[in-house]
Amino acid sequence: MKILMLAARNLFRNTRRTLITLMAITFGLAMIHFTINLQTGQYHEMITKGISTLAGHVVVSAAGYRDDPDPDRVLTGADAVAEALATALPDAIIAPRIFLGGLLNSPTSSVGVALTGLDPEAEAKVQDIVDKIREGRWLDDDVHGIVIGEKMAESLSVGLGDKLVYMGQHGDATEMTSQLFRVRGIFRTGSAELDGFAAFSNLEAARSLFGAGDIAHMVTVHLPEASGTAAALELARTALADTPGIEILSWRQALPEITAMIQLDRASGDVVLIILGIIVSMGVLNTVLMSALERTREFGVMMAIGMKPLQLARVILLEGMVLGILGSLLGIGAGLLLTWPAIAWGIDYSEYLGGESVDSGGVVVSTIFFARINPLRMGIYTLGAVVFTTLAALYPAIHVARLRPVDAMKHV
Amino acid sequence: MPIVTVRGLTREYQQGAVTVKALNGVDLEIEEGEFTALMGPSGSGKTTLLNQIGALDEPTSGTVVIDGKDLTTLSSAQLSDLRLQRLGFIFQSYNLIPVLSAFENAEFVLMLRGTDAAERRRRVMETLADVGLTGMEHRRPSELSGGQQQRVAVARAIAGRPALILADEPTANLDSTTGHELIALMKGLNEQHKVTFVFATHDPKVMEAARRVVELEDGKIARDTRK
Repeated sequence: MKILMLAARNLFRNTRRTLITLMAITFGLAMIHFTINLQTGQYHEMITKGISTLAGHVVVSAAGYRDDPDPDRVLTGADAVAEALATALPDAIIAPRIFLGGLLNSPTSSVGVALTGLDPEAEAKVQDIVDKIREGRWLDDDVHGIVIGEKMAESLSVGLGDKLVYMGQHGDATEMTSQLFRVRGIFRTGSAELDGFAAFSNLEAARSLFGAGDIAHMVTVHLPEASGTAAALELARTALADTPGIEILSWRQALPEITAMIQLDRASGDVVLIILGIIVSMGVLNTVLMSALERTREFGVMMAIGMKPLQLARVILLEGMVLGILGSLLGIGAGLLLTWPAIAWGIDYSEYLGGESVDSGGVVVSTIFFARINPLRMGIYTLGAVVFTTLAALYPAIHVARLRPVDAMKHV
Repeated sequence: MPIVTVRGLTREYQQGAVTVKALNGVDLEIEEGEFTALMGPSGSGKTTLLNQIGALDEPTSGTVVIDGKDLTTLSSAQLSDLRLQRLGFIFQSYNLIPVLSAFENAEFVLMLRGTDAAERRRRVMETLADVGLTGMEHRRPSELSGGQQQRVAVARAIAGRPALILADEPTANLDSTTGHELIALMKGLNEQHKVTFVFATHDPKVMEAARRVVELEDGKIARDTRK
């Protein structure tokens, strides 16, 4: 305890130098915390949007669909699957989906379309596309209703209530099948891909285009919290244990591209953050080394009166550690302060990214980036900062431990 | 048995191409309770001999035996332990730890020894009273005069009740009155507690107080006078 007190007091012999070093640690760590929290906010949006639009927390599909998403690889008996899931997971929203690719024709024009057939009521609770509708309304039981993007409406020169004919070849059909729709709503996400090529229709309309009644490409399960995924996956597997020819995946398995992209982004971000940590540690090394060199004579005296080299080294290491702990505590405070506006109002990148949304890993996310506190990663980096600053004191500590008392006492 | 036995001690330094013999075959015995002054001109080897007796430096040849232990056979950790348990040091420029108070400086050796807090407090308060620093326990070295700082250094040296105290020019930075007071203080401790003192000094006041004066010239003992 006395050694710790000695280390702490030594640090403030040269208050200005220590404060400058503390500021470097604080600022460095604050930047690290800010970056981590901003990353976490972005990942959270990507995951949430990815789950709601591309998958679910749990996804049931025909066996092999993830690896080979052939439109003909459909899940038969989808309604029974949905019912079993609804029974096993009463708090979850169960949403079957069918994905079709074809041609959408207006009286004046045609465009390629990625048409998703879905349960309007269930999807209204999970798809944020509903909030992006600029004209008209979301889908209902009307099998002729279709919701299209703003750019597609422009390309087809259609407005609300106008007729569109979908044409495509699906399932076992040898000929093209078609379906008449009326534009029920027009959405704008800001993403050129989504606004220009995506459309949504009632599940039953899509099924009739497929020529089959009780099918889906996916039955998606949406939970109140992503943290419940593992438990829900187990319940789903138990509930569907007797259903042959299906695969049950978590969102991580169903959306490997997003998971991989986040891992890659996080790994490259970590490299930058570690480099920042090393630069800050150099500052700590300089402070502790200068402080140790200035006290060489004093160390000689301390060794003369019986202090062992390892005890002296411990004092130096503790100085680095105390500096690290103080800087880290201040860094947490400064990091949270810096993150707070990005949590409350977000950071608007729309001018740099050319719109209000951007496609990221196949998911359309907002160009206003919101931060989200990540206590675990903040904790890891804070601990890392303390370890780094303590390690930065290792060289001065070894230097001091190697001093001979008689030589050290001659030092001026 | 003498507390210090020095036999055939030499210490050579390399200064460029020249080999300097700071000590050249010194033989010396110091008995327990002695108050001995090592005298001699600058460069005669006083401090070098004191460093050898204090286990702070290794000899080129010869032996130093303290409490029956040959220092040349001890490891660095054992030497540290010997200094901690058996020796006390007083330096010319006090060499207190500036971030510690008078109490904490005097307590330092006891803390390194692992003495429990209550015992440390009792002994340090007693020692500070012995050196006339009662009421100044919480002052840092920068808040004390030179004489007071040297008293703290004496308190640090004696608080652990060492067998031998080595003092290198302890009065050199003090005015005459303060120097006299300090010598009287150390003499009193020597007589009262039978602590052995060995000084390296130029100061005639110390020589006057010493009961034995060992004069060094060119790294050899020229005269050894007992009063």
